[in-house]
This record gives sequence, C-alpha cells and structure tokens, in this order.
Amino acid sequence: MTSLPEENTLGVIVGAKSQRREADATRRVIRAATPRRSSLGTGFIGIGAAVVVALRTIYGVVWFVSLWDTYPDPIPALLAWAILIVTLVATFITARVIGDQLPDWAFGLFLAGLAAAVALDLYAIWPLHDIGRNATAAVTAGMALLVVVTLRRTRDILIAVSVLGVALATAMVLNTRPDPADFAPQVTTLAFAVLPAVIGVVVVNGFRRLVQVELDRVLVQSTVSAPRFAVGMLASEELARLDLAAEELLDSVATGKTKLPLDPKTASVAASLATELRLHLIEGRRETWLYHAITESDLLGKAVTLIDKGSLAGLLDPQQRDGLLSTAWLLVSDTAKRTLDRSVQLELGPVTTPTEDGPGKKILVPIVITTTGVPRNRVDPATWEAIGRVGQYSDSTQNSSLRVDISCLVDNPADQ
Amino acid sequence: MDLIAKERDRLLQRTARVYGLSFTIVSLVCLSIPGSVSALAYVIALPLYAVVGFSQFRLGSSRSLLWIGPALAAGSAAIVVIAVVTPGGPGAAGVSAAMQLGAASLASFAIVLTTDTVRRVLLVGAFLVVASLTALLLEPVHSALRSVPLLVLGWTLATIVGFWISAGVPQAARRIASIGRAHRAERQASETEAQRRQGARLLHDTVLATLTLLAHSGVGVSPESLRQQAADDARLLRQLRLGATPTPQSSGVYNLEGVEDTVLGTTLESVKQRFGRMGLEVSWHGTGQVLLPSEVLDAFLLALAECLENVRRHSGVTEAHVTITDDETTVRAMITDSGVGFTLDDVDSARLGFKESVVGRLKEVGGRARLFSSPGSGTTVVLEVPR
Repeated sequence: MTSLPEENTLGVIVGAKSQRREADATRRVIRAATPRRSSLGTGFIGIGAAVVVALRTIYGVVWFVSLWDTYPDPIPALLAWAILIVTLVATFITARVIGDQLPDWAFGLFLAGLAAAVALDLYAIWPLHDIGRNATAAVTAGMALLVVVTLRRTRDILIAVSVLGVALATAMVLNTRPDPADFAPQVTTLAFAVLPAVIGVVVVNGFRRLVQVELDRVLVQSTVSAPRFAVGMLASEELARLDLAAEELLDSVATGKTKLPLDPKTASVAASLATELRLHLIEGRRETWLYHAITESDLLGKAVTLIDKGSLAGLLDPQQRDGLLSTAWLLVSDTAKRTLDRSVQLELGPVTTPTEDGPGKKILVPIVITTTGVPRNRVDPATWEAIGRVGQYSDSTQNSSLRVDISCLVDNPADQ
Repeated sequence: MDLIAKERDRLLQRTARVYGLSFTIVSLVCLSIPGSVSALAYVIALPLYAVVGFSQFRLGSSRSLLWIGPALAAGSAAIVVIAVVTPGGPGAAGVSAAMQLGAASLASFAIVLTTDTVRRVLLVGAFLVVASLTALLLEPVHSALRSVPLLVLGWTLATIVGFWISAGVPQAARRIASIGRAHRAERQASETEAQRRQGARLLHDTVLATLTLLAHSGVGVSPESLRQQAADDARLLRQLRLGATPTPQSSGVYNLEGVEDTVLGTTLESVKQRFGRMGLEVSWHGTGQVLLPSEVLDAFLLALAECLENVRRHSGVTEAHVTITDDETTVRAMITDSGVGFTLDDVDSARLGFKESVVGRLKEVGGRARLFSSPGSGTTVVLEVPR
C-alpha cells in the first residue's frame, strides 16, 4: 500500500498546511467592488488638476498677449496656443465622456497636440534667441500633462515630461546665447515646464497609496464584528469546492463510471479529498477574527505576529477588538518612512481571574504588545487612546522599542 | 483624530515637501549663477536657504506648525537679502531666484495650511507678508506689474492643490467605506455559508467515511453496497449545494438523524454496521437508549467512529467492544480491543489524529477522552460527553 498517500481517518495532516490565501481573497473583493481602482477618488483629483492647468493656461495666454509685439511673426505662436487649448479641452472632455480613463489612441493624440504646440511656439520665438524669456505655450504644455496625470500610468507621464524637458533644454542650448545673464530665465522656464508634472505624479501616487491603505484597513475592519471563531473569506468557497469534488467522485462511483475497486490514482484523489475536507471541517473554525484580520491585510500581514494559543482574541467585545486592531494599525502604519523596519508582536493569554471582584464575573486576558523599531516618543497619541479602549495598560521600553502590557477584562465564556 | 485625516495630512505634508524643495533648489541654482547677487549677499543667503530647505524636508513628516514659521521667516529674510544687500540691486538671475522663492518655494506651505481655520488665517497672513515683501523690494529692478501676477498665481495654485486634496480624501473615504460595508456583508454571507456547510456534520461524516473507503480502493467492502453508499452521499451533497440543508435520515445503511434529540441506540447500530462492512466486528454493551442534543451526539459519534477506525487500521484484530454507560450528568463510551497495543510515549498522539479529531471535537461540546494502552495488551479509550 505504499503507493497510497499518507492518509488516515483521523485527519493526520498530509504534507504542509496549505498556504492561506485570504490576502488574495481581499484583492479579489476589491477588484470586484471597484472595476477600476483608479476611479476611487482620483477622478476628483483629476478635475482639480484640470483647474490648476486652466489657471496656468490663462496666465500663459496673458503673458503671450503681452509679448505680442516682440514676435517677428506671432502667427505660429498663436497657432501653438490654439492647438494647445483645443487639445486640452478635447482631452478633458474625452476622458470624462469615456469615464475617467484615457485610451492609448486618445493619449497619443494628446501628446501629438502638445508636441505640435511646443514645436510651433519654439519656431515662432527661434529668431529671438532667448527661449527662456519668450516661450509661453511650450512651457504651459509641460504643465498640461497634469490633465492626464490621474488617467495614465506614472511611467507614461514621466517619460512624456522627460522628453519635453530634454527637447526644451536642447533647444535652449542650440538657440540661446551663452551669456550668464540669460541663464536664469532658461532655468526658470525649464523648471516651470517640468516640475508641475513631476509634483503632480507624486501627489497622485501618494493619493493612490492612501486609498490602498485605507481600503486595506476598512476591509480588515469587518472582522471586528465576526463571531469568536470565524472562517476566513475563502473558507466557504473552499468547502464548496471540496464538496463539489467529492460529489462528482461519489457520483461517478455510484453510476459505475469509475470501476471498483479503484485504481491507485483515483484512490489517492479520494484520500486527499478526505484529508482536505477534514481539515476544513475540523480546523476551519479554530482561528479568531484577529488571525483573519492579520492574514487578510497586506500591511499587517507583513509586520504583525500573533501568539494566541487559547484563541482568546475571540472573547474581546467589538469595541476592544476595534481598539486592538487600531493599535496594531497605528503602530505599523504610522511612520514617516514606510521602509523602516517595524514589527509588532501581539501575545494574548494565559487567562487569569482578576483579584478584586469586578463588575459581573469577568475574566482577565493579559495582552502583551512588543515591538521592534517603534521608539516610545514616536508613538502617535491616537495609539494610546486606542489601547485604552482595550483595557488598562502600562507601557515600558524593551530593547529601545515600545512594549505595552494591557489588562483586558472580558466576559467569561462559561457564563454565556 | 480620524485615521483618514491623519493619512490626508501625511499626503499634504509630502506634497508640500516635494513642491517646496524642488523650487528651493531651482531658486538656489538661479542664485548661484554669476552676476545674480554680490558675494556678500550670497554668503548671507546660503544659511537662510538651508533653513528653508531643512524645514521643508522636516515638514514632510511632521504635522507641527513649528517648521513653517522659521521657514517663512528665513525665506522672507533671504528675499530681503537678495533684493537689498547687492549694491545697485540684484541681477536678472537674482530676481528670478527671489521670485521663485516667493511665488513657489514658500507658497508650498499653503498646501498644509488649508486644513483648519487657524491654518487658513496663517495662510492669508503668510501670503500677504511674502508677496508684498517680494513685490515692493524688487520694484526698482522688476516691475510689480510682472511680479504680482506670478506671486498670486503661485500661491493660488498651491492653495488649490491643498484644498483639492483635502476635499478629495473624504470623498474617497466615503467610497471606501461603502466598499467596506459591502465587504462586511460578504464576510457575513461567507461565514453563514461556511457555517451551513460545516454544520452539516452528519452529512460530512458519512461522506468522509465513504471517501476513506474509496481511498483504500474500496477493498474489503462489497462493490454493490459501496456504490449504493456513494449514490446516497452524492445525492446529499447535491442537496447541500443547491441550498437545502439536508437533514438526512439515512445514507446507505448508515442512519442519520438531524433532529434535536436523537436516540443513540439506532445510530450506534448503523456505526456498527458500517464497520462490519469493513471487516471490524463491533460488539455493543450497555445502554441502548440515550438521548443527546444533536451537536453533542455528532461529536460523540464522530469520536467513537474515529476510535473504531483506529482499531481497524492499527490494532491487528477484527473485533472491538464498545460499552456505553450513562449517569445523571455524563454519557460514557469505553472502546476496547485486544490488539497489539502501543506504548503511549512511543506514538505521538497527534500522529494518530487523536488530539485533533477525538479530543478536540469532544472538547468543543464539553467532553473529554482518555487513552490507555501498552504493547501486547490492547487499547482502551474512554470518551465522555455531558448529557
């Protein structure tokens, strides 16, 4: 019988415990709920960017009008402004109509419009030999990239703005007299053309990350109302899948499609099905909300370890759970540099009975939070408020990082 | 404070940092161009630029207003130095440097000065001071007609950036919260569904028993009865899948009852028959009529069946005795065999699955299990559950 897998009826775990996939489940839910993640609030930011560009355009046009007399031939420059404005308006409207996105062809047209405006503007001021002082539409074109900053990937914007920067710089070197008195306008013009788009990219990326972190937090927050023992998001799906596989196998045996006695391959399928099913039926409910919260969260999963042998986290009431989760959240996320190595360890138990008779018959769950890389003086004040919601606490420093001991009073499960 | 407000402030601060530092650097580059300002002015201005740059950097990670005051003061001082110290006024590059400092670098503070009333008042004050200082002092070399629009534009753009981000974050937060609510509903549904499926324990017990038979290629069981059992189980699983919660009365000859209190005797008989088919003769002794709540009965029967399966697989004998006794508080089953036995220390109880399936399951309903064995003298397991 050595060909059969290690299987017995008492649910011995065959092989390693299957990898938890709740994090995937979370991602799946987000995808289902927001077909286009970028539309989560970035649409509004996009309109703001358009307003900024509009203001800059008005300023640029006023500047252009004031320079009108200096042009040998103002018509190409005028044309540049016309093309730029038409491109901006058309792109803005296209994106809104299509629904907060910009297909490749529209982005291509947009870039072509910008390139034409830059080229015409440079052509118009070429005989003046001072691009820095006279460029108007070409500078605004750089800022115009902000109109699409929320609609396209970071890479697209950065490449476009780099090309523009290099083109302007090359034109300046070729065209402008090498006179130190003329350097400053060139530098200024280049900066005003390139920096707004770069800053815009930083803002939008920051905003997207904010949305991501907040989503992660909100999704995990739903564990707070879970029962003492809960299944993860995928558990029922897994169980349904196993039930279906078992059903199909049994059905094929019953109808005689699969011959008895079974060949070793089908037998081993039956064996692994039985094992997995057992694991899901017996093991599935041993995990608490806190375990699921930590495994489902991208942010917490990386930094938080949980030691809770008695599954005591399940005894906490929703307010205490919220406090504990917020605490872990604040300790992990509240750092200026997210690359800093922070880790948090939560240890619950063992249960003791409080010395004096508290209100009702409560039991005491000691919670110890140990951290690495969290100096006591850098802890956000909101953290203490969150810890206070869990129970009475005392804090100390261990290995130059924060340690908190919480006495958490919970209802005795035996009384319920 | 709200977690989302904290995130919003962090975003504003980082934006201000990037915004401010970039233009401070551009301004410094312009100031460093020969002919911009006198050497004296340059030397005085450098530390002031350092203060501005450092404050802007610190601002990226601190919510405190403390960094804004010194930075604005140092920036304004730098503008004064550029405009005044050079004899005959600053060159074109010096004017550019001052304008960039006044209209862009210092304007970056507007981004973090939009979130509450106190900050907005500060914002207006800061704008008035910096703008008037820059426009008035540069007037001799740079017409106010050209400087004032740029100053207004710079501060307006930065203020819009600040306000717009502040307004965008709550919007996103609302959307996210509604996703969170949907997710909570989905989690509850998932939990309920898992509960429904896991709650169908009797069903799963029989399915598992059949699967286990199949895992051993169905050896030792007549193909006819195995097929019959497989058909019954497949039907039950189909019912479960289609949304019913089957409370099966029987599967093959294995009797299943999902009612609140179940007579132990009839169910024990079906367990006996099931093992009989697999070649283990089970003899019952003692009480036949015991009423147990269904979840306790489930655990009790499962534990019992797992023990018998152990006997069948490991003891080397084909007969086992089960004695059921009960008193006021407890129902007790004693499973004995006269097989090979084992030293308790030698066999890891977890390896037998004893801990998980038997002890764990009984514990859930308030019961317990004890195991006695030694090599050569058989094995005895005592299972207890409360009534």
